[in-house]
This record gives sequence, structure tokens and C-alpha cells, in this order.
Amino acid sequence: NGAAFSKGRGSQSGQDSTRWHVVRKFLGLISSHNIPVYLIDPLILGLVDKDIAQIRSSPDGPSPHCKYFCAPRDFTTFALLDKTWKHEVGLFRTAEKMGFQWLKILNKDPRLDGMDDLSGMEIPLHYIFKLASHAIHLVVFYERSGNYLWHGPLRLKQHMDRKFVPFRKLHFGRYPGAYEKPELLHVSIDDLKVQIPKNPSSFLEEMSHARFLECRYREARAFFQLYPDDASLDAVEFRKKAKSLLHLAALTLNNLGVKFWLSSGTCLGWYRQCNVIPHSKDVDLGIFIRDYKAEIIPAFQKAGLPLKHKFGKVEDSLELSFQGEDDVKLDIFFFYEEDDHIWNGGTQAKSGKKFKYLFPKFTLCWTEFVELKVHVPCETLQYVEANYGPDWKVPVKTWDWKSSPSNVQDNGVWPVDEWDDVIQIY
Amino acid sequence: QTGAVLFLLVTVIVNIKLILDTRRAAYEEEEESAQDYDDDMLNVEVPRHPVNKKVLDVEVYSSRSKVYVAVDGTTVLEDEAREQGRGIHVIVLNQATGHVMAKRVFDTYSPHEDEAMVLFLNMVARGRILIFTIKDEGSFHLKDTAKNVLKSLGSQVAPFLSWRDMWTFVGKKGGEVYGEKHAKSPALSTWGDPVLLKTEVHLTSVEDAECHWPDTELNRRRKRFCSKVEGYGSVCSCKDPTPIEFNPDPLKDNKVFDVPVAVIAGNRPNYLYRMLRSLLSAQGVNPQMITVFIDGYYEEPMDVVELFGLSGIQHTPISIKNARVSQHYKASLTATFNLFPDAKFAVVLEEDLDISIDFFSFLSQSIHLLEEDESLYCISAWNDQGYEHTAEDPSLLYRVETMPGLGWVLRKNLYKDELEPKWPTPEKLWDWDMWMRMPEQRKGRECIIPDISRSYHFGIVGLNMNGYFHEAYFKKHKFNTVPNVQLKNVESLRKDAYETEIHRLLGEAEVLDHSKNPCEDSFVPDTEGKVYVMFIRMEQEADFTTWTQLAKCLHIWDLDVRGNHKGLWRLFRKKNHFLVVGVPASPYSSKKPSSVTPIYMEPPAKEEGAVAVPAVAAAEQT
Repeated sequence: NGAAFSKGRGSQSGQDSTRWHVVRKFLGLISSHNIPVYLIDPLILGLVDKDIAQIRSSPDGPSPHCKYFCAPRDFTTFALLDKTWKHEVGLFRTAEKMGFQWLKILNKDPRLDGMDDLSGMEIPLHYIFKLASHAIHLVVFYERSGNYLWHGPLRLKQHMDRKFVPFRKLHFGRYPGAYEKPELLHVSIDDLKVQIPKNPSSFLEEMSHARFLECRYREARAFFQLYPDDASLDAVEFRKKAKSLLHLAALTLNNLGVKFWLSSGTCLGWYRQCNVIPHSKDVDLGIFIRDYKAEIIPAFQKAGLPLKHKFGKVEDSLELSFQGEDDVKLDIFFFYEEDDHIWNGGTQAKSGKKFKYLFPKFTLCWTEFVELKVHVPCETLQYVEANYGPDWKVPVKTWDWKSSPSNVQDNGVWPVDEWDDVIQIY
Repeated sequence: QTGAVLFLLVTVIVNIKLILDTRRAAYEEEEESAQDYDDDMLNVEVPRHPVNKKVLDVEVYSSRSKVYVAVDGTTVLEDEAREQGRGIHVIVLNQATGHVMAKRVFDTYSPHEDEAMVLFLNMVARGRILIFTIKDEGSFHLKDTAKNVLKSLGSQVAPFLSWRDMWTFVGKKGGEVYGEKHAKSPALSTWGDPVLLKTEVHLTSVEDAECHWPDTELNRRRKRFCSKVEGYGSVCSCKDPTPIEFNPDPLKDNKVFDVPVAVIAGNRPNYLYRMLRSLLSAQGVNPQMITVFIDGYYEEPMDVVELFGLSGIQHTPISIKNARVSQHYKASLTATFNLFPDAKFAVVLEEDLDISIDFFSFLSQSIHLLEEDESLYCISAWNDQGYEHTAEDPSLLYRVETMPGLGWVLRKNLYKDELEPKWPTPEKLWDWDMWMRMPEQRKGRECIIPDISRSYHFGIVGLNMNGYFHEAYFKKHKFNTVPNVQLKNVESLRKDAYETEIHRLLGEAEVLDHSKNPCEDSFVPDTEGKVYVMFIRMEQEADFTTWTQLAKCLHIWDLDVRGNHKGLWRLFRKKNHFLVVGVPASPYSSKKPSSVTPIYMEPPAKEEGAVAVPAVAAAEQT
């Protein structure tokens, strides 16, 4: 059915049927090896999304003209789930016979990175198949602990051909990324049968902030060299409780669609030691106030976490605290964005004093923590330093939230008539 | 003790430094190049030997306390450790590259080692370079067959080698001799003078050193393997190589197809080779789920893993001896669940096991129990008491309070929630399996085992293993070879159902004549397919005095207590199901007719220097 878009017709409207032919060949190659790939090319998905209703309703319909795969681009991007194929050499032999040149980018396996002293084989992160003037970028996704998919960064090794393709124009590979497992849809677009994410627009949205940070395992090991880990039964128990509390909190907030990140001590634990700090006694999360929902409190209560206290109000210094199992507390701080900084508030119950904690502006990245895909500030070092000062690497057991943080400021006192509202203790 | 701890500390620090250094390099590269897709990581491959050289200088030294072999100035063997490495050391070099392909030592001072040497030498391909040297003594049990093999390789001295002679020899299999030196021992009480042989070996072309198999992906793997290592027999045969892909029948409705399989290995590549062959031949195996975890940076086990197209992970050794094994287990289990985050279970295997053809079928039929029955700790393929004369029914399963290991299934949440967080730290020097068997961990939970084991423990060289021990406790173990066994009444293995089943069995069982000697064959009538019960004295839950004596005379595992369920043991004698109930500790004591007096067997008086139980009890695992 390739005759539909002959070179002659394609070129009339500034279209590139070469691309269409290369994609078709590639799809033939991978289907002959039973490799299930799906389309993640953002430019094509963007176009597809506009016509999604029509495409869904006629999944096999013929296309009158080449609408998606003929825009002249250097690349078309596909995804491959690692566990759905055997790493067989036969694929590359067939590819060569079909005229493809290919490049494989290997790197170390991040799933073993957090492990002491294991060295596995390098794993393929990206493949590039080039034919004529077009290339297929195949991004390999791996399942990781925390029920998400991960793709690696694309880094060229020394001996590799830097001009193989214009690498800088790739849509994937500048950073590693984390994604939900997508639901897929079989469709026919431009007479090519492909799989696409069922909801292209939400995939594109996800892609726009998919950047993933690996925990700093090397530094964490160095930290534990200096300060050996607490392996007491108490510490083991606390970590277990903190982990399950964090899992419960993540589930609750994700169900509400409320974006959150690891904050304060929990964030420090991730950044410094890739684990829960055993003497921290609580779990700390941050939420932008613009993402606040009134359902948060009832949702946590329903999940079995009673409200312990509520300080402040939505307009100012809101802070919620929920009671987890056996004295492990979940603190949620709401963050307020200003032009040049971000802050959250604190309240002293007995005096009504207000405090303000200032942070430089930050964006959110994904990471993996205690088998959970969660957000942390991408600019983690600045965040942690703002909170804990330059000596954040040194563990401190006595911590006063009113005076210890480097970024704390006095912020006046709540008017007494508001106390009933802004200081609620249960 | 202090020495050990110090050694451990130094090892750990050195390792960490090493890792930090290499990781640092890797990290820096990443941060700098995040913008431009560059990777400055040096990836220079240094050839281990100069490949283009035509002539190799070989030095071989033989003496009472030290042997060494140097090839082109590189020491490829050096052994001056005291009280080990006695016998004939053999090194095989590739005739084209000069690479060391195999290194063995045969303690031909002891019996049967010469037979192993003959076996090994016969497996080496024609054209390879063979280097021999004796340390201490190598002639005492070097029989004529072995001497003739050495003679056929061109040695003139071998037929006359005698007590405490020193000897070195370099030759090509089926070809020329490059040198031989010998020093006779002047008297029974002394050794021959040290000898040093220096010679040159001419290399051949790579084509001459390789077989000409058809160019397929499998044969490429084979070629890579066979040009590196020796001693694996027909897998490297030019004429008729044995397959390295097995394609056993898939299992219908395979419930364990997606369960990861962790193979725990050390540096016993020949064992690993045998083990992986049997594993990959088992019906329902899914090679993609297999990961081999190698304790240490050993090349040869990795070569074996690559030969079979599997993935392998190397683990920097932490700690020493039992603790090292224990840390290796932990790292392997954690890595397994990281690599397969969806998995609810992991199958744990060791490199010295044969795997039954219906291993996965057995697991597929029983694994749902482990998921649903909270009172279960594991499913194991091994029945500690399943010997040739005590196991009979491949479709029968038991619940036991002991954890046999040797091919078992671990539930992820048990590992993640309970075991991993408090796994013994390296300085504890504990056996992982002993630790897992402790009540603090097991918490009264039980394992499901088959009557006839689905694994076979063939290892005889191990941390706690020796030939005698293996002969006594493992050799006569029964191993299922029947494919597709349909397990019987699997649901009756659930906690409560099992009690009903036991009561039914005991109700049906014929009480044996307690006036007879239970050790005698005549204790059990010459019938088949009947159920018999006997009662032994067992004062309280931990009183195994009589059981241990009974186990001893029945020639089953008696080094510690295995296979019990609430004071009940189940086995077979003369093809009859044979139940042993400990009275009064067992809740099944009520089944004892009042006329029967439980049998009591006295332990023998303590022997001087008797084997300490804890030391050997762990042997099974290593």
C-alpha cells in the first residue's frame, strides 16, 4: 500500500515521502521480529491528537493523503518496552540487509546502581536506525521499582560517530525520563499501522516534565562511610513505617491529582543518603498552594490518617499534619510562589508566632525513593542548602524547626481573633 | 578473630575506594556532558596478551612449597600457600593467542584425582598447549592409566614419576613437546630439588586454532567461549558440538513464566555450566527471566553465562567466608527485585544443583499457595529426607517447619518487608540460611516441599563440602526425572486443609509393631502402598533425641532436624507411606493407641572430637 504516497505526489506540497517510506520499512522490520514498538514522536502525536476522535473511530480507514509521516523531519521517535523483546542479534542483521545503518547506545543499568558493588552488563538505552536522509530513534523503556517506566540519557562514547545523526535535535535523551505505563491504541495513520498512546495529549503533557533524577548513590555510600547507618531494630521499624506512610500519602494525593514533592527531612534523606533518615520521626511533603484542594483532608482521613493539626489558611502559611501509625507523622507544607522566590510558612501553636521559610525558585523532577516514583525539586542542592545550610551533609539529631533552618524568618504573629481558624490541634 | 575483622575492614575499604574512584569518573562525565550528548568515559580495551607475537616464552617452576608458571613474563599461576595446592597443576593455553584457557590442580597424592585429571585432559582440544607442574607430591595415587595419558602427550618422565619427585612439562596436545624437567627425590623423607623449565612455544594462526562451525548467532557465542576456555567437553567439539540452546516444551498455563530466576554462583564455572544446562532444559523455562549472580570478578563463570546467552552480574566480594556468601545472597535478591519490579516472587537457585525437568511445572502448580497462604514461608524443590529408599511419590507434597533451600521460591513482600531490612550485616559472619531458619525470621511459618526432590545437589567442592560429606548425605538423594507430573491434591496443602489431611492419613494408618526394632527392615511389613505409623518418644517440642537416632539408622539426614511438621515426619519405607509421631509433644499423639509405648532410642555415648553439628548443618547450602 506504499504506492499511495509516491515520491511525485509527496514532493508537490513540500512533503517528504522518504520519511514515510523509511517509517514503513522500519515497521516492517520490527513486526517481522515481533517487537512491539509504539509511536512517541511528539510532533506526530501533536498532529494526531487534533484528529484523535476521527482516528479512533476508524482505526483501519485509508488515508486520502499523507498527513502525519510526511512532514520533513530528521527523526521519527518510537518507544520499546525492554521486557517485551529478546535482545536478539537477528534484528540488526535484517536491518542491515534492508539498508539500515544502526547505532546502539549502551550504558550502565540504573536498577543496579543503588546496589553495593554490583556490576551488571550494560543495557541498551537507545537505538538509531538510519536510512537515506531519515532516522528512527528507538527509545528503550525499562520498568523500575515504583511501577513506572524509565528511559536513559543518550550519551555518546568516545569512539562513536558524532555525525551519525544530528543528535541535538532528538526529542528524547537529553535527560533520563520517567513515565507511567501507557495504555496503547492500535491505529492506522497515513496507511501505516502503528501503536500510539491511547491519550496522546496526556502523554505529551507527561513528556513535558518527565525529567528524572537518579539518586546520588555514590555520595550516599560515601556518607555512610563517614556516618555508619543505624541498623538498630528501631531504625528498621521506623523506616518501614515511614515507607508505608509515604506510599499511602502518594496514593492518596495521586488519586486526587495533587502534585507533591519530598520536602525537608525526607528530601534531605533522599539527597544525602538515598534512604529515610531513621531519626527524623516524620515524613515531609511539599505542595504548591495553587494545587491545594479541599478534598485533601477528608481523603487522608478516609485513608486512615487523622488530621493532627492544621496551621494557617489557604491564603497564608497553610500547613497540615496527619497522624500515621505509631507516632510517625505526615507533614504537608504548602508553598507560595513569589516573583523571585518560593516560601512556606510555620506557626507556633502556643504563641501564635509565624515563621517563613524561603527557597530559591525550583522546578520538579521525578525520582525513585523507597520503591516509589515521586517528585523532588530538580535544583535539589539549592533547596537542601536553603533549608539546612552549607553543613547539610553532617547529620544533626537535635533540630528546632523554629531556629535551626538557615532559611527561617520571623513573620509576625497571627491576630488573636484568627487563632481558632489558623491554629487547629486535634 | 581480630585478624579476620581487620582483613574484612581492609577489604571493604579498598573496595569502596575502588568503586568511588571509578564511579567518580563516570559521574563527572555525566554532569559535564548532559548538554551535548558526549560521553568521555574511556572505553579503551587493552588486550590481555600481545596477540601478534609468534613466540611465547614460558617458565614453569616446580618445588615442594611453591609452583609458578609465567607466560611472556606474566605470572599466570603462582601458588605458595601452605597446606594447599598439592598435586599436579595443569594449565591450558590457546595455541593461537597464548590466553590461559583453563587452570586446574589435581591432588594426585589422594585417590581418584588422577581419574579426574584423565577426564579433563581428554576433554582438551587437540592443538592446545598444556603445561604441567608438581607441587609437594603428585605421584602417590597417579595410576598407570594417567601416566600413560601423560606419556601419550609426549612426556618421557611421567611413567617413572615417583614419590616427591619434582616435575615440569610443556607440550602441545597431539603435537610437539616444548620441554620437560624432572628432579628425583633422593630419599623417602625428602623432596626432589626445585626445577625451573624455560622454553619457547610457537603460536599458530587463529584459523588453525578454531573450529569451522556454520556462522550462526549461536555458533558465534560458542566460538567466543571455546576460544577462551577449556574443559567443557563436547560443547567445543569441532565435529559434533553439543547444543547450547535447548527449547524444551513450553508449559501449558505456566504460572511461573514471569517469575525471575536468580542463580547464585561463585567461581565454579564447570558446576555453573552443568547447572545451566539442566535449568535451560527444564520445561517451561523462560531464559529472559534468568540472572546469574557471580560472587567476585571471575571471568570464566561469566563466559559460561554468555555462552548460554543469559545475563550475568558480578558482585564485588564483601566480607569473608559464610558472611561473604550471605552478603552475596542479599545483593542478588535485592538486585533481582530491582530488575523485575513487577515480580511477586523469585526463584533462587545455586550453581551446584541439577534442575528437574518438571521443576517449573512443580512450581506452576503450587505457587498460588505461597501467594494466598500467609502461613507459608517458602516453596522448596528439595526434600531433606527424600532419599532413594525414603521417597516414592512424585505427585506428593508436604508442609514442613524447616527451610530446605536448594532451589526455592521467595515471596517479594517477605523479602522486602521482613528479611532485607534486617539481613545480617557483614561483620556478623552468619550463614544466611541458618539465619533464615531462626524462629525470629521464620515466625512459625512453613515451607512446601515435594516428596521427590526437584533439584539435585551435585556439588562436592564447597565452603562446607567435601567428598565424604557428599557421599554420605547427598549422593543417594532421589531426584525426579519424570516430566509433567500432575501434583496430587494441591489444595490440601493449605494450613487448615493440611490438618484434615493428616488426620485422615493417621486415621487410615496401621500402627506398626512397636516391640520390633525400628531400624530393622522387618519393622515394616513387605507390602506396597500402605500407610503405617510409629510413635517415638518426644518429651517436648525440641526433644529430638529419638528422632535423631532413628534418622541415623534409616540413613537419612540426621545432622539436625529437618522435615518435621508438628512433631510428625512423613517418608516412605519399602514403598509404603511411613509416619513417625513424637509423643507426647506432637498434637497427633492422641492417635496413639493406649497399648502402644512410644519407642525410645538412646543416643550413643559422646565420642571424642565428634563433628560439631552447627558447623556442618549449613553444608547443604554451600
